[in-house]
Amino acid sequence: MNLLAISINHRTAPVELREALFLKEDEARSFIKLARENILKEGLILSTCNRTEIFGVPEGKEFNHRTIQELLLRFKPAKNITEEHFQKYFSRDAVKHLFSVASGIDSLLVGDNQVFKQVKDSFQIAEETSFAGYFMHRLFDSAIRVGKRAISETKISDGAVTVSYAAVQLTEKIFSNLSKKTALIIGAGETGEIAAKHLAGKGIGSLAVTNRTHEKAEKLSQELKATVVPFSEFRESIHNYDIIISATSSPEILISKDDVKKAVKKRNNEPFILMDIAVPRDIDPESKRLDYVFYHDLDSLNVIVEQNLIKRKAEIPKVEEIIEEELNNFWEWYNSLQAAPAIKDLRDLFEEIRREEVEKNINKFSPDDREKLDIITKRIINKILHHPTIELRKNDKESGTSDSAAKIGTIRDLFGLGSKQNSDKK
Amino acid sequence: MISVIHTINILLPIFYLATLWVYFYDFIKGEKKLINIKRVFLFITLFLHLIYIVLRTVAFDHPPITNVFEIFTILAITISFSYFLVELVSDIRGTGPFIIVLSFIFQLISSLFIQDLVEVKDVLRSNLLGTHVISALLGYSGFTISAVYGFLYLILYKDIKLNKFGLIFNRLPNLEVLERLSLYSAVIGFIALTIGIVIGIIWLPMAFPKFSFLDPKLVGTSLVWLLYGIGITSKVLGNWRGKRLVLLTISGFLVAIISTILSNFLAQSFHSFY
Repeated sequence: MNLLAISINHRTAPVELREALFLKEDEARSFIKLARENILKEGLILSTCNRTEIFGVPEGKEFNHRTIQELLLRFKPAKNITEEHFQKYFSRDAVKHLFSVASGIDSLLVGDNQVFKQVKDSFQIAEETSFAGYFMHRLFDSAIRVGKRAISETKISDGAVTVSYAAVQLTEKIFSNLSKKTALIIGAGETGEIAAKHLAGKGIGSLAVTNRTHEKAEKLSQELKATVVPFSEFRESIHNYDIIISATSSPEILISKDDVKKAVKKRNNEPFILMDIAVPRDIDPESKRLDYVFYHDLDSLNVIVEQNLIKRKAEIPKVEEIIEEELNNFWEWYNSLQAAPAIKDLRDLFEEIRREEVEKNINKFSPDDREKLDIITKRIINKILHHPTIELRKNDKESGTSDSAAKIGTIRDLFGLGSKQNSDKK
Repeated sequence: MISVIHTINILLPIFYLATLWVYFYDFIKGEKKLINIKRVFLFITLFLHLIYIVLRTVAFDHPPITNVFEIFTILAITISFSYFLVELVSDIRGTGPFIIVLSFIFQLISSLFIQDLVEVKDVLRSNLLGTHVISALLGYSGFTISAVYGFLYLILYKDIKLNKFGLIFNRLPNLEVLERLSLYSAVIGFIALTIGIVIGIIWLPMAFPKFSFLDPKLVGTSLVWLLYGIGITSKVLGNWRGKRLVLLTISGFLVAIISTILSNFLAQSFHSFY
């Protein structure tokens, strides 16, 4: 298999270098055009904040990892990038690497299923730009199967691994139905925004945002269909919310223990969740001593994140087993595209049909004619298969290439000459 | 038939222990494949227990409510059966080991000390007495389960407040669900106990010439009934919730235990049969 892959990722390069080689969607499309014209027959470009990876089947033997790397750097010039910043994969290792990426075990946050969606999007672009040929389609199906199996058969994506998501998951351990609850986000910065999006994603009943700069709160509220509470007034209304997530850069405490105490009283002892994910903290940590108040800050939420990461890492061997299994299936399919086994399978099929029909009808012929029947039918089969055999043998010289694979694949599909993997799936 | 009863009597604690083990193992490991297996274990155990009770009733010509150890086996099945219903209806499965352990303890004590009583007082053969006692026991089973959920609520409440995110945090349902389960169990227990008390008040004066409304068991049960009544009404009116409500269900359970011990073992009255 002449599949090549290069990867610059969170393990090999710092963020500024990864940023320098990040390809936006339009850039990825332009690069695909360039690669198709110069070195690759078919392939895939995956570019995220943590990795830029190029998988491809080269046009000829003169093209290798370095050629792809040089083409990328010519397309997107970046300083200080050296040979060491790239990982290189070939053949089976390249497939295995793609499966690892799709399953999330190669991610910075182990089990991050965002990357699974990004892999799907990359294939979509390859498809739209006709960069995905026969081989890539099959590779895509297998990679998607690996990603889905990793999520459904293991716990690789279980539990929150970011502080803002951990805050939201913790609320689910207190309330059973978030659609009946209200939440206030204090601070419309990046952290507050992520937390608000997680809450909206979990179907929170109603969401309100407050921010020192009113316009920022307005902008976020429009995006999330939330209401805006003026920053100067939010303290007086905190009792109206079941969940408060605070993530401002305020240097002083915004909500005192006394504010919380008053709110608890007004809430008639309904549970009151305070998530303080700001540094320095926005809510007086002494509030946690009050009954019915669930106060959590960055330190306590980080405990959840760390525990979940440990659990996810423990799942890696199970995901690796899935990868190995799917890799073997893919390899078996790939080997079935070699010319010699395809010719043998085709001939075996025709011979089986011939033999069955002869056996079924043998009594209709006199004993003298039976030997002739055998010879004639064999001759017919040989004549039918003569041209296809010659054509397939031509492919033997260029075996493993996309054209040859497509041709053999079509024959296998037409005559039902499935590989073991295909018959298993059926 | 007697030998079958004896065999099941030995098997029952073993079955409860096996069920408890499966539930506990699932609680520790949290493996998806055990979810249905443990329910099958509980169902088989309950089925065997039901056969045992029917066989005892037929063989000894009275329902098994005539002494403490017969009462214990009824308590074991009513607790597990109530939990089985809760699990089926709510599909919440992380709390099983904390409830089935009670059935195991009650059944173990019962199996060790239960005797084959053929001769019992005539009054203990009454069907009304059977309904009275079984209603009261269902009531107490409901209160027991309510207290277990209340206790689990308090543990989880404390763990969340103290940032302890271990097994309890990971396996138990959320606080609102635990509060709801505790309340529902208490309501079911309250209804069953009310039926038991009503039957008792109608039937006992007719059956016992020495009947007195100051009977310790009646006073104790009334006190428990009143406590749960206040708690449930407060919840319905929206005055009490969360920690305060579960503390009440636990207190009600403790009062029920103390009242049962005092009235059954210390104070002798017309209401004491053993």
